[in-house]
Amino acid sequence: MLEAFIYIAVIALITGTVLPLLYSSKKSRKASFGLSFVSSIFLLVFAGTILYTGEESVFPAIRFIPGLDFTLTADRLSGGFILLIAAVVSGVSIYSVEYVEHAKSEARKDLQAALTNLFILAMMMVVLAGNMVCFLVFWEIMSLSSLMLVLHDYFSEENKKAGLFYFIMTSLSTAFLFMGFISLFKLTGSAEFGSLNYPASDLTLPFLCLFTGFGIKAGLVPFHKWLPYAHPAAPSSISALMSGVMLKVAIYGFLRFLLSISTPELWWGTLILIAGSLSAVLGVIYAVKESDIKRLLAYSSIENIGIIFTGIGLYLIFKLEGVESLALLSLAGACFHAFNHALFKSLLFLGAGSVVHATGTRNIEAFGGLIKRMPHTTTLFLIASVSIAGLPPTSGFVSEMMLFQAYFYSSALPDPLLKVLLIITLSVLALTSALAAALFVKLFGITFLALPRTRCAQEATEVPKPMLLGEAMLAIFCILSGLFSSRILALLDFDLGIPDMLLLGLILVGTCGLVRIAVRNSGPSKTRTSKETWGCGILDQLPTMEYTSAGFSEPLVVIFKKIYRTEISSTRTYSDTKESIFNSGTAKIHLIKFFQERLYLPVAYAVSLISSQVSRMQNGKLDTYVLYVFIAVLTLMTFTRYFA
Amino acid sequence: MNASFLLFTLLNTGFILLVSPLFMSLIKKVKAYAQGRKGPSLLQNYLDLRKLIQKEVVYSPNSSGIMRVTPYLNLAVLLLASLFVPVVFIPDAPAGIGNIIVFLYLLAIERFFTALCGLDAGSSFGGMGSSRLMSLSAVIEPTMVIAFAALAYVLRTVNFHEMFAITAGSTIPESPTLTLISISLFIIIIVETGRIPVDNPATHLELTMMNEAMILEQSGKNLALIELTHAVKQTILMAILINVLVPWGLVTKLTFAGLAVSCLYFLLKASLLAGLIGLFESSIAKMRLFRLPSFYMMAFFFSALTILMEVFA
Repeated sequence: MLEAFIYIAVIALITGTVLPLLYSSKKSRKASFGLSFVSSIFLLVFAGTILYTGEESVFPAIRFIPGLDFTLTADRLSGGFILLIAAVVSGVSIYSVEYVEHAKSEARKDLQAALTNLFILAMMMVVLAGNMVCFLVFWEIMSLSSLMLVLHDYFSEENKKAGLFYFIMTSLSTAFLFMGFISLFKLTGSAEFGSLNYPASDLTLPFLCLFTGFGIKAGLVPFHKWLPYAHPAAPSSISALMSGVMLKVAIYGFLRFLLSISTPELWWGTLILIAGSLSAVLGVIYAVKESDIKRLLAYSSIENIGIIFTGIGLYLIFKLEGVESLALLSLAGACFHAFNHALFKSLLFLGAGSVVHATGTRNIEAFGGLIKRMPHTTTLFLIASVSIAGLPPTSGFVSEMMLFQAYFYSSALPDPLLKVLLIITLSVLALTSALAAALFVKLFGITFLALPRTRCAQEATEVPKPMLLGEAMLAIFCILSGLFSSRILALLDFDLGIPDMLLLGLILVGTCGLVRIAVRNSGPSKTRTSKETWGCGILDQLPTMEYTSAGFSEPLVVIFKKIYRTEISSTRTYSDTKESIFNSGTAKIHLIKFFQERLYLPVAYAVSLISSQVSRMQNGKLDTYVLYVFIAVLTLMTFTRYFA
Repeated sequence: MNASFLLFTLLNTGFILLVSPLFMSLIKKVKAYAQGRKGPSLLQNYLDLRKLIQKEVVYSPNSSGIMRVTPYLNLAVLLLASLFVPVVFIPDAPAGIGNIIVFLYLLAIERFFTALCGLDAGSSFGGMGSSRLMSLSAVIEPTMVIAFAALAYVLRTVNFHEMFAITAGSTIPESPTLTLISISLFIIIIVETGRIPVDNPATHLELTMMNEAMILEQSGKNLALIELTHAVKQTILMAILINVLVPWGLVTKLTFAGLAVSCLYFLLKASLLAGLIGLFESSIAKMRLFRLPSFYMMAFFFSALTILMEVFA
């Protein structure tokens, strides 16, 4: 019965993919997004039931070629991630109905609608995949459909570069996954996902390959560089899906592998924890300096992925040290944070899309005063900002609190050295979450408050209703998942002893009301007047007097200047020999993109060096190739004769 | 929700609201004496609040709803936070009230919205204040979390109510390591309430302003609420330090006599602490903004030391 929901969703998504390609019209695009919305509702019901009952549902295998079966299964882990996909898709599909109409040409609009459906379908199937073949096939469809969406504006130089970057990174990720899965297959002799009862030493290679592969796709430092390129290039609704859902699909894949291992090793947990903490803090530190709204959000995704990996690392460590309750708390925290991050980050990307649509620029320095021009977008953006900054009683707070709580109870660990590691990573997590708050004060404050800084912000108007409706949908999910967090977790049989946010929220609202009433009735005067902002006696306040985004982050840039690594070089010439009368000179401040310049480019140069050598062998003459074949056969024969 | 907790809500919040302005005045008085002045009367803050609350509110036309909601929200948040720190007696609270992580993030709400308020009117002072506040609070956050984690390590719970129930039962600090945490807690009070050497509450010079810069646009009732919020925050933070270091007098059971003793003891201890803060402020100069992270490192060091001692003990 329940399986039918999945079949309906699949059929709806396939129809949604084909429809706009067959009939190019506004109506068919509308229908296409309508179908993705319908599929999301079916998926919501399906995932909710699976999560609640905890039943495993196995679909009949589909056989394409003998020996290559496609099997689909759904258990609670995949149910949780299906729920995440469905929740985000429901909002994004409503938003896209109107948003897609702003693309440049009819063909692009159709393509965007079709590919969005395909992308959603692929992500859903990856999560439902029951064996490696199925997983990898849909993983590739997911990567390629998102690549085409990133490249939607294919004439722009910037987008081409972003697309190429994304393509290389995602291929690298798939290559590592292939290696990981093949080595697993060699070990088990089966392509099915199942529990792995093997000595840890045999699993080291698959672990490292899969960690790297999924890490690249999830945007873990130092493989994160594709995110800040791909997200600004893609349309905002796609950024929302990529950042909100696709990164989580990578997390899902990693968890699926990790949870099936009965004998992990401690250093795995330590590695994951350190990589996670590093990603979290570096992601947010880079984000603080950014003034491109979508790139900033991309860096913030890196931060949150780091937090999720921190949770996974803690889970492994606690589990191996035998502290089951804390292990469960960390794992639940990581999964819940993945869910929450999907909601508020896609909401933020949709909001950013609205702002970019209304103003025509992605530069934060050009915004300002949008709260008066786009009040609804502002409210929705504020909800997401408060959540991602981790303020109670929102969902972002709850998941971070679960990790903090696990850390605070870590005195239960027997190993002192591990405790020291946990203290260090705890302070890193604290720094991350406080910097995230600073980041979103900056983003929200500079974008929406005070006076508009440029003409384009001055003339911005509120976006059409469907876009607001899509955002509102996500905002509601976001609020509900925060307020009812402890109830939801209790419903799923996770008894974690976390504070009830509903109670806190109610007390907060109640107190707010009481204060309001108390103040209203005190004092004789109730009038309000309006006078210009005080500026030391200046009568007219100009937007140029406002704090800018760069100005806001300046103190943090100074404090963390070691991490930003700027290079200042200057040359001067003097008119006299004693170098006292300055003649002319140049000065340059260069921001070193550390990972790009010190890690990516050397590798890229090495690869291109080798390939340029190899390409010499290609001369286009038939006899040369015959010679190659001859040499190859000879080598093989010698090899089989003497070594095999 | 039981009767004990409801009563606690009224008594604790009422008591904190009532005495908070007093400690603000007290610090001013001590500072004035240290400078050879007489200083304002101890009731001056109450009078100021009464005056402000009767005045109309002036808004900048650039400002938005954020400016209008924040004063109410922030006071409500701090009052909610005051439920987490018992000073009159330790009630039988519902689960989650008293959680130190929630407490830390309630303070973060106040910071977040105050900073947004600073940006709201579009004044360069406000922006400067918000930028500095958010930057420095990001740097102090690891220290705060580690200090609270140290508390949780030593007392083996993450709930203030349970912690204080443990400390209140003993006459000397439960563990010598708590004394070390107290140093961190003291620095946290100085930082969070914006006192010298971090910020100067008595200044209106743009070079030294942080908190004052953000509330420059506030007036009338809203300013009164903000001043009160600030005072409540200071009292709560002081109460944490007092209950950790010198917990004598805090009763765990509700009796009329016990309540009076609790209140009286708290008033006495908090007054002494306020005097100490005043002296501390008078004895050092305001630090340069970018020297502050190293000041914070000191607090970080003490808390980390505490945890390490517990770890290797």
